[in-house]
Amino acid sequence: MPVNMKQLINLVAKEDWPFTQGHRLCPGCNAPMVAKWATMTAKALGYEPVVGAATGCLEVSTTIYPFTAWNVPYIHNAFENVAATISGAEAAYRSLKNRGKLKTDKPIKFIAFGGDGGTYDIGLQSLSGAVERGHDFLYILYDNEGYMNTGNQRSGSTPPGADATTEPVGKVKTGKVQFKKNIVEIIGAHENVYAATASTSDPFDFMAKVEKGLKHEGPAFIAVLAPCVRFWRIPESDGPKITKLAVETKYWPLYEIDRGVYKITRKPRNFKPIEEYIRSIGRFRKALQHPEYKEVIEEMQKYVDTRWERLLKFEEATKGMYLR
Amino acid sequence: MAEKVMVKGTEAIGEAAIRAGCRLYFGYPITPQSELTEYMSRRMPQVDGVFLQAESEVAAVNMLYGAASTGHRVMTSTSSPGYSLMQEGVSYIAGAELPVVFVNVVRGGPGLGDIQPAQSDYFQATKGGGHGDYRLVVYGPESLQEAVELTAKAFDVADKYRNPALILADGMLGQMMEPVEFPEFRDLSTLPDHSSWAMQGAKGREPHKITSFDINEYVLEQMNLRYQEKYKKIIENEQMWEEYKTDDADIIIVAYGTMGRIAKTIVNMAREKGVKAGLFRPITLWPYPYEALAKLADQAKLFFTVEMSMGQMVEDVKLAVNGKKTVEFYGRTGGVVPTPNEVLAKLMELI
Repeated sequence: MPVNMKQLINLVAKEDWPFTQGHRLCPGCNAPMVAKWATMTAKALGYEPVVGAATGCLEVSTTIYPFTAWNVPYIHNAFENVAATISGAEAAYRSLKNRGKLKTDKPIKFIAFGGDGGTYDIGLQSLSGAVERGHDFLYILYDNEGYMNTGNQRSGSTPPGADATTEPVGKVKTGKVQFKKNIVEIIGAHENVYAATASTSDPFDFMAKVEKGLKHEGPAFIAVLAPCVRFWRIPESDGPKITKLAVETKYWPLYEIDRGVYKITRKPRNFKPIEEYIRSIGRFRKALQHPEYKEVIEEMQKYVDTRWERLLKFEEATKGMYLR
Repeated sequence: MAEKVMVKGTEAIGEAAIRAGCRLYFGYPITPQSELTEYMSRRMPQVDGVFLQAESEVAAVNMLYGAASTGHRVMTSTSSPGYSLMQEGVSYIAGAELPVVFVNVVRGGPGLGDIQPAQSDYFQATKGGGHGDYRLVVYGPESLQEAVELTAKAFDVADKYRNPALILADGMLGQMMEPVEFPEFRDLSTLPDHSSWAMQGAKGREPHKITSFDINEYVLEQMNLRYQEKYKKIIENEQMWEEYKTDDADIIIVAYGTMGRIAKTIVNMAREKGVKAGLFRPITLWPYPYEALAKLADQAKLFFTVEMSMGQMVEDVKLAVNGKKTVEFYGRTGGVVPTPNEVLAKLMELI
């Protein structure tokens, strides 16, 4: 049975939250929502989550020694290592279980959290390795599109036109020029993997995907668009509002690739122009003052339109064609 | 010389590198040096240089390997865990004899540690870090002015010996601001000519080979012996240190970098109490000024090493003093910077 609101409310009322208050993430940060929703979904499904975290805002701000916001077994390792570390924990668990040496019969699930720097860039190798080996774990990427923990440097996820400290908007350049990596397709292109996007504007879609990911026997990956209000230069209250707009402008389509089968999980009836999304985020402001800003917007519009059409075609073409 | 300007440590090192003729920078963000990476991203396009943010430190160091092979001045900057990730590349660069300048703005370790200043990467910097018999020329500046001067020197020395050099700073030097006088811009046409070995197009000449490898163990041994000859020359020519009030000193405090600077205050405080203290501050941590320090062993009664670590450079002090006198140690670590008062109290206990 899928997770429902009643279950979650009961859980919140009666049980310890796996990810609790008292962390030191900025007011309005979207990362803790991701951590909270994911771990609560796991609990509601009767799983015992074991959490791994890569270096990043979420890790730094939730585990300021001697305090911790985690009410579950938790392990941190350096920036590039969370997928490898969770692989190790999962392999040890599986081995003990297979040999009948495990002292508990609780259904344990391994969840790794990483930011976009630790996932798109430095951690991609260990993530790919863990997915290829087929460890039974769920990797959740909270994607705030930059190295926000070290002060807004560009990452492989930063969108074009964004003003980053290592790729500033200047007289010549309109900030970053490259598009985001399509991380979901990269992971989705592995074998026997469940990969999906999600957005903080749509917790139920996200939690349904968490459930799917946890139930999938093997690796699962969810990329959640989770703004950094500080460096996106948006009001503290606006994170989910912005990610809603991201879905409505095709900037961040909500879809999944389940063992090769594409499925769009939210199809907005009417789309808004990408310019509305760009104009609502402060970190594009400088690029919008650049003489070439129209080209940036046009290029983005064309990109998201084409990608959407492509997604629809993939959905049609892969129907029922599970690779495993 | 220009007038003095107020700058942050990381940015001072970046500007110094550009003025020394560095036009290729490869880096990756890590606290407490991300401002250097950011500074280079703004500054390099203005001087027609290249800034490139890698996807990891492993990538950054190997970009240096590629770029340095062309014979141009290249650098990167990082902080402790990042420098650890780079070690394979550092070893390759040393083996291939490429003139690269590294900057490690050290933070507390081991493992994740924290982002506060420390000197606990001394072993890694001076005794290896990567695999194989290799050496980096290592500079430990005490101030931003000295960091600026040593950055220029590091490029010159790296070029002269075809050997990587390392600026071993710490979080304190990286994050503080000080007035600094920058040297003039180096005329790029006066930079050393590397056409005898660099990869600059082989048309009309024998191809060059840049490698740290030979399958024949005897040839590889010869390569290693050649490195050793080079290291011997560096030891002969490149040692740097500062002595402060050592002429009549009974007690020699040995400290480098940020700690060396603090130790000057401690020397003066001790002298106010009637204790004849002096400071020996190594500036090159490799080659270590063993002989200069050894000379003081005839005159001084006690050596007192102070570090922002649990005791790393103290081993070199003991090697230099060679049992002639007692060598004591005091250190704080994990990002704690000792205060002059606590070090003085410890010193007074010892005498």
